[in-house]
Amino acid sequence: MTATAGPRPARRPGLARRVLDANLPYQLLAFAVFAGVWEVYAREWGGLLIPSFTETVEATAELLGSAELWRAMWVSNQALVLGFGIAVLAGVPAGILLGRFRLAERLADVYLNILLVTPMAAIIPLLVMSVGFGLASRVILVTIFSIVMIVVNSRTGVRQVDPALIEMARSFGASERQVWTRVLLPGALPAIMTGIRLGLGRAVTGMVIVELLMVSTALGGLILEYRGLFKAPLLYGTIVIILAEALLLISAARWCERKLTRWAGSA
Amino acid sequence: MSALVERRGATAVRRRRLSWRRLPAAPVSLAAGAVLWELIGRVADVPFFPPLTTVLGRLADMVSSGQIIGSLGDSLLNLALGFGISLAAGLAVGVAMGRYRKVEAALGVYVYALLTAPSLVFAPIFFSLLGEGRGSIVAVVVMYTVFIVIINTASAIRTVPGHLVEMARSYGARETQVLLRVILPAAAPMIMAGVRLGVGRAVTGMINGEMFIAVVGLGRIVTQAGGRFDGASVLAVLLVIIAVALGAVALVQAVDRRITRWVPKTTKDGL
Amino acid sequence: MIQIRGLSKSFVGQDGSVVHALRDVDLDIDENEFLTILGPSGCGKTTLLKAVAGLIPWNDGDILIDGSAVRGPGPERSMVFQNFALLPWATVLDNVGFGLRMRGIGRAERDERARALIEMVGLSGFETKRPGELSGGMQQRVGIARALAVEPRVLLMDEPFGAVDEQTRRLLQEELLSIWERRRMTVVFITHSMEEAVLLGDRVVLMSARPGQIAEIVPVPLPRPRSSDVGAIERSSDYVEVTAYLWDRLRDMHTEHRPSKVAG
Repeated sequence: MTATAGPRPARRPGLARRVLDANLPYQLLAFAVFAGVWEVYAREWGGLLIPSFTETVEATAELLGSAELWRAMWVSNQALVLGFGIAVLAGVPAGILLGRFRLAERLADVYLNILLVTPMAAIIPLLVMSVGFGLASRVILVTIFSIVMIVVNSRTGVRQVDPALIEMARSFGASERQVWTRVLLPGALPAIMTGIRLGLGRAVTGMVIVELLMVSTALGGLILEYRGLFKAPLLYGTIVIILAEALLLISAARWCERKLTRWAGSA
Repeated sequence: MSALVERRGATAVRRRRLSWRRLPAAPVSLAAGAVLWELIGRVADVPFFPPLTTVLGRLADMVSSGQIIGSLGDSLLNLALGFGISLAAGLAVGVAMGRYRKVEAALGVYVYALLTAPSLVFAPIFFSLLGEGRGSIVAVVVMYTVFIVIINTASAIRTVPGHLVEMARSYGARETQVLLRVILPAAAPMIMAGVRLGVGRAVTGMINGEMFIAVVGLGRIVTQAGGRFDGASVLAVLLVIIAVALGAVALVQAVDRRITRWVPKTTKDGL
Repeated sequence: MIQIRGLSKSFVGQDGSVVHALRDVDLDIDENEFLTILGPSGCGKTTLLKAVAGLIPWNDGDILIDGSAVRGPGPERSMVFQNFALLPWATVLDNVGFGLRMRGIGRAERDERARALIEMVGLSGFETKRPGELSGGMQQRVGIARALAVEPRVLLMDEPFGAVDEQTRRLLQEELLSIWERRRMTVVFITHSMEEAVLLGDRVVLMSARPGQIAEIVPVPLPRPRSSDVGAIERSSDYVEVTAYLWDRLRDMHTEHRPSKVAG
């Protein structure tokens, strides 16, 4: 039995204690270990295909200064912006309608369930066959990837508004329109914002996947090109940059979500 | 975290709705969809959207030629390996993160980042590390699955009521006993929620990995059929993939129900 | 048998100030004594009990049981929790046998002893039920049976009847008295009810809050056994007098200090 009780001196936390209690030192430590293992592994057993950590950092910096990357970024993000925009504009109203009208929801339910678990990437060949390798098929794929999350969360948001609040509003003589603008939409906003944030994550995923799997342009195309040319550091650098973009966008979305839904507490 | 809660909330709402008095809606809706598919397919007459009967005919051909069965076996093996590794690693890391604040501090931010990142971009890296083969596909499946398992396990462990742990310690339970007899059972419902989400992601990872590293499995058939502009085959395989996804989720749900039978109905929907 | 010497515990609050949960507590508890500890919320009575249970560290002082210092939970002590702390996935039988299982006692003996205790607390027939299927009062019976199953010499009870309704509470008080009268052991019983403290205790330890200190120890001059006619005890002048005295003291404390928000 370990000594869990017994006298122990009490102190106000000192500087060392506060450093140990913070997260950052541990995060840095974890990263350092990761980078160190990578560096050693690449130097000892790596080859043409596995760049070291330092080589990757250098290549990333080099890429950030190259016009080629920014051109690819521009092309990729066109699809992202358009596809995600369509998903939000169509998905939020669709989700709200599903949340409000039982029959539509009952009929759509089974399809939403299927769409949530189906790997959407499998329809990429059909897109390419129908609209070709251009911007359109990338936009459509981004929309398809992100819209389901937005619809489902918007629907849940409307459904979870307390019916007692609607009754309350009606009892004060609120019109249908006022019930919508004063009760339903504000009540559903946190869930809608969550859906938009999750949808953005999936949109970025869709953007990358379509380029990697079928339409070899832009960022995904760069990856495939560098792989073909055995330019491993540049390949890894591109991946780092894509990850960085994804995380930046998602953090920004999370920040917006918090700003807009502060009343909802931690939800 | 809020994201996961929202998703779990959505799943719970959906499940409840599927379970009572709404069952007839699904078949009706599916039948209507099938008829619509057939009609649009026939009227439009385009290669990328063949009518349902054509797709089903193609599916029957592919099954009888053995093409589907072999690839399905390969895919399920990829799925099982990746999902199994994810479960083992996810539970281990998740328990460590939930139990020890320093582990959480060191890894938490990276796990969240990797959960939201587009997982397929790691495929080229696995490719260079593990070569063009099953190993890389399994690694992609793990990349899709493991982080959601870690995060749900960690928060499940953290939310185990402190008084249960205290109770066990008051009876002299050792750390391993506390973990095995109290913490893990108490955390099981929420861990299983993560596993449920994880299995869906695992199927996605399996298909995406197989499409990218087109050496084995259903994903390879999709890629090849797409290359031939063979829409009927793509859709036929897509039906199989949907069946695999729904089957895998149903399997996990069945296990989940066995493990969490003790959870009272009213609170179960909240998980 | 239990000696508490100069026990102090403080912690740093969220605003950085030092909160004294317990300051310089001295207390001697006799073998087979039924001691009740009464005080306003935030007076550190639960902290004191958990220290005796060996569940939390403290800053200064000693707790001795039969002369040896408490360094953790021990087999001679077992605890009954305010919120029952039952394992929701385990049956009544397995919950009652939990403490025995932690001590490495095999299934057969464990179940036999658990069944005997289940009968003692009047839950026969509920062995295979889970806590979620039981009322609050029945759940706490399970908690008491679990604590008794390990045959402790000291039973530590942390507001055990605080979460059940009034009628159930009175039934449980009577049953606890009758169990204790048949099977004597040292009981340390935390409560915030004056009536409960007087009805059950040999002595009532009155604690004050901020810092948590012992204000007074009030002996209860009521005869034992008490379980046979609780009504008569409650009508006796001694009971009324002691209860009234405790209320006077508690009211004084409330006017001296603002009521504190920390549960305890």
